[in-house]
Amino acid sequence: MFGCIHVPDFAVQAALLRESKILPVALLDGPESLLKVVACNASARSAGVFIGMTKPQAEICGVRLIKRVQKHEDAAQAELMDGAYNFSPRIEVTSPGTIIIDLTGSERLLGTGKTIAQLILGEVTKRGFESNIAIAGNPDTAHYAARGFKGITVIGPGDEAQSLSKLPVEVLGVEPEVLDVLHAWGIRDFKSLAALPPIELTERLGQYGLHLQRLARGAVMRELVPAALPATFQESTELEEPIELLEPLAFGLNRLLEQLMQCLVEKSLATDHIEIELTLEVHSDRDVNAPACSSTLSTHQRTVKLPVPTQDAKVLLKLAQLDLAAHPPHAPVKKIKIQAIPARIRFTQTGLFQPLAPEPAKLEITMARIRAVVGETDSQKRNLVGFPALLDSHRPDHFQVVPPSPKPGNSVEPSTRLALRRFRPVIPARVEVNAEQAPVWIGFSRRKARVTCSSGPWRGGGQWWDAAGEWLREEWDINLTLDGHTALYRIFRDLATRKWFVEGMYD
Amino acid sequence: MSSIAIIRSQVECRIPGALTIYQRSAPEVFPTGIQAIDCGIGGIPKGALTQICAPVGITSGRTSLLLSLLAQVTGKEQFCALVDATDCFDPESAGVMGVCLSRVLWVRCIQHGMKGVEQAFKAADILIQNGGFGLIAIDLGNVDEKLVRKIPLTTWFRFARVMEALPTALVILLPYSAAQSCAELTLNLGASAQWSGTETVSHTRLISRVEFNAEVGRTRTKKPVQSASINFTVRPQWA
Repeated sequence: MFGCIHVPDFAVQAALLRESKILPVALLDGPESLLKVVACNASARSAGVFIGMTKPQAEICGVRLIKRVQKHEDAAQAELMDGAYNFSPRIEVTSPGTIIIDLTGSERLLGTGKTIAQLILGEVTKRGFESNIAIAGNPDTAHYAARGFKGITVIGPGDEAQSLSKLPVEVLGVEPEVLDVLHAWGIRDFKSLAALPPIELTERLGQYGLHLQRLARGAVMRELVPAALPATFQESTELEEPIELLEPLAFGLNRLLEQLMQCLVEKSLATDHIEIELTLEVHSDRDVNAPACSSTLSTHQRTVKLPVPTQDAKVLLKLAQLDLAAHPPHAPVKKIKIQAIPARIRFTQTGLFQPLAPEPAKLEITMARIRAVVGETDSQKRNLVGFPALLDSHRPDHFQVVPPSPKPGNSVEPSTRLALRRFRPVIPARVEVNAEQAPVWIGFSRRKARVTCSSGPWRGGGQWWDAAGEWLREEWDINLTLDGHTALYRIFRDLATRKWFVEGMYD
Repeated sequence: MSSIAIIRSQVECRIPGALTIYQRSAPEVFPTGIQAIDCGIGGIPKGALTQICAPVGITSGRTSLLLSLLAQVTGKEQFCALVDATDCFDPESAGVMGVCLSRVLWVRCIQHGMKGVEQAFKAADILIQNGGFGLIAIDLGNVDEKLVRKIPLTTWFRFARVMEALPTALVILLPYSAAQSCAELTLNLGASAQWSGTETVSHTRLISRVEFNAEVGRTRTKKPVQSASINFTVRPQWA
């Protein structure tokens, strides 16, 4: 089942949103020297206004003339789409002021076709539009019924051809040349178009003619072209008094996040990325030369990302709080703006026998809390909390620490091997070598030991094309006896600096 | 009927089950992937604290054992957390041993001394609170014994009590048996290495295998009359 909202004279209604629409109004557009009427309402048409009329001609008709503003029409279209999204996440914007809604499966939730149509009409009227609503079994029938009939029209299954029969062919919105041909044949309404013999019609107008006839019979079933989702959802608030502490700021963040989540839930969306922009009031009174009470505005931006989309405002609030605690704004906050990037909700089937795994949103909060304890990155800008990932490189100890992935990868078959225990950073060592350049004594970390056995040198190098990243070294595996225990170490000599280091211990 | 039987029947009549011996169910375990250890002690118990002890700076096999355990747990599609108090985990070794790295949450504590230990325990606390992990490992293997002695016994006791209610195994790598009776299982490890090749020519020599011995210091499941010793051999990646 499909519903269609059609707002007649949409451009005029958009210009008069929340104003009286009874008065005759015409919209003007074009260069300032040659303004022409581009749209008018029914009252204006009664007064003699028609599209294409110049401004002086329209003034004679005594109608109110308004300059067309595209921004108003876009805002009105967004408002209309908001209303449509209340009934289904699948909508098609067929033209400005005309929206087709996929109502499949809504009967159990909202009631019969007529009830749904009344609900849609109520919603659209509440938003300040006068509209026609039609319900039918296919999108095009609903569309033409809404364009052609005033008020509510409900077309039952099988009644499409009968219901549309009285509509004039102009409602089809075909090219003027095709319309002229139809008029020349004496075809004025859908009924006469539907009654034409298909073969002869195809011979004269081709497949397009046949398609028009099927539209007139209400026999075309097609998929909706989904309306493009807004790229971002945004909420902002300006505070009466600047806030200095994070705790009261959390109240403001909470309100905005709840509003954002409400908008996303209405559209069956979630978010995995929010951007917080805090406008700060920086007082220059710290500067003795600056005039008293002067202040400037600066911004503090933070981004919170999640591995999986969520609709839970509390999770996002907690992450935002932890992030702002780690990176607090340096001045009182005057304005808060939050932007959410929408994402589709991911549904996962849970089961009784599924292995133990942390909940993704909860895991993100846990990681943020741990980050607050251990820090964010090391000296090489690698994360301190996350999931290790090996890089495609021969450079020793070359890895990344990445956020959790929604689909964990597979590993090789488990097999127990001798593991290396790394020292980060590597420990500088003093090494004595014999005539063959093999290490015989080593001293590091206030220890000195004789090398009882050694293996090497194993030379490695790479990234010779990049002076900053080039590495070249000789590795040795050595066996020491420390306090009567065996100790196997991996040491290396950096061939650029000729210095020795202990890289790790086999354990 | 003897007087004892009469008394027993009278007591059981008033308090049913008062004189019945409570059979403690065997704890669930994670296999370590090392056959000798799995045959000897069954595996690493869930819902309990396990300590793997070896002196700092010597080859003992504790890291190989931990990585083998991680490979087994992640192989069952469970998530693990590794709190690395001295940032010594080698992802490359773990990858070779079959650890699914995308299922291991790695917490790297890069601060030295007691600060790093404190961070590790705070992080472990948060992870245990979060739940959802099959295994939580705390690696204090490179922390100086003097610092580990400063950790109050109440900390181990608290961990042991919290873990009782969870289906998670808590494994701690320590330089000595610091958790004492709070641990369900204590393993003390040591090693000896074997080399292959000619003694005189260093580049023909390779570590061919390392023999480890694990001494079961404490276990609640099988009480050894005397310390049981388990030997196992591990080969390096190139052997």
